[in-house]
Amino acid sequence: MAAGPTRRAVLVASAPEAVIASGLTRRAVLTGAATAVPVLISGCRGVEVLGTPPPPAPDVRLLRATIVAEQQLISRYHAVLAGPAKDAAAAQRLAALLTEHEQHLAQLRKRLVVPAGSAQSLAPAATPAVRTPPDLAGALATLSAAEQAAAQRLATGLLTVPPSLAQLLASISASEATHVPVLDQLRRTA
Amino acid sequence: MSRAVAGRRARAARRQARAARRQARAARRQARAALSPQAVTALQAALAAEQAASYGYGVVGAHLNASSVQSRSADADWVAHQQARDSLTAMITTAGAAPVPAPVAYQLPVHVQTPAEARSLAVILEEKVAQAYLGLVALPEHSLRAIGTRELTASALRAAAWRHSTVAFPGLPGQGGKSAAGS
Repeated sequence: MAAGPTRRAVLVASAPEAVIASGLTRRAVLTGAATAVPVLISGCRGVEVLGTPPPPAPDVRLLRATIVAEQQLISRYHAVLAGPAKDAAAAQRLAALLTEHEQHLAQLRKRLVVPAGSAQSLAPAATPAVRTPPDLAGALATLSAAEQAAAQRLATGLLTVPPSLAQLLASISASEATHVPVLDQLRRTA
Repeated sequence: MSRAVAGRRARAARRQARAARRQARAARRQARAALSPQAVTALQAALAAEQAASYGYGVVGAHLNASSVQSRSADADWVAHQQARDSLTAMITTAGAAPVPAPVAYQLPVHVQTPAEARSLAVILEEKVAQAYLGLVALPEHSLRAIGTRELTASALRAAAWRHSTVAFPGLPGQGGKSAAGS
């Protein structure tokens, strides 16, 4: 924010494609296509010839773990919406939070590029079935704790990944952190 | 105690003091060298956003009912931004750079006359702050990434409280109008 000769800075809302401080645009951050290098599961063509593929890089592991965590959160929301929150006043707000997780998942999946013929597929991991408490207050408390844990895991994990992925994970972590007070408020009125 | 022993002790104490001063100088040099020009640029951007928020929350608070819960929230958020501003100023100074001073006045992005407009301004201020901290998250320094993530989350929480709804990607440009979980 450069101050002009009159020392008045302009504080205006950003245009949709505004460049953020690091020089990355929303499109670049979200698609990971233009400036960011998508994360390859196994980059080397000759790996199959050699036998055992090398273990995935840390950012691949984190990205895969984050995708699985998002899928688990989405399953939890579906279970609560189909069970204790069915017909409840909270359903609409829970559905809105669920939509945000689906947006997170879509962006995370775009970052994971699976080479053709790769042994490691992007098939949804066999996530353990999550148990939902039968009462709404209990179910909301479980969701809240899961959101808090997911946000914390991301905040720690993003320290060691490339910058553009770190920004996406930080944003998702912040989003999940904002779900916690919403869920806690719903629980108090449940 | 003999004079010789006292002298030896005094000399040892002086040696220790000199060593401590050398260590402190080395630590300061390291602190300066540890921050890249990109890091300083990102910190300056975060500082500019916090300065704008510190100014803007003054306007927000002035247009809320003084005895309301929202007014108390605005006061708490105002203090948080002032503290963040001071902390960033100290970090930039420690890095051997000069913190860019705040402009004396700002042109506000919205015309504020009602409590609803004041809340809109608070949301816009937080979105600016969140974007700026996302710049810290792109840096290689772990400590600055951690600070960026922490402050991004704090800003997203404040924005969600003012907006009465959440967004999928706080801090990424273009989130302003979109909202989910609205009330």
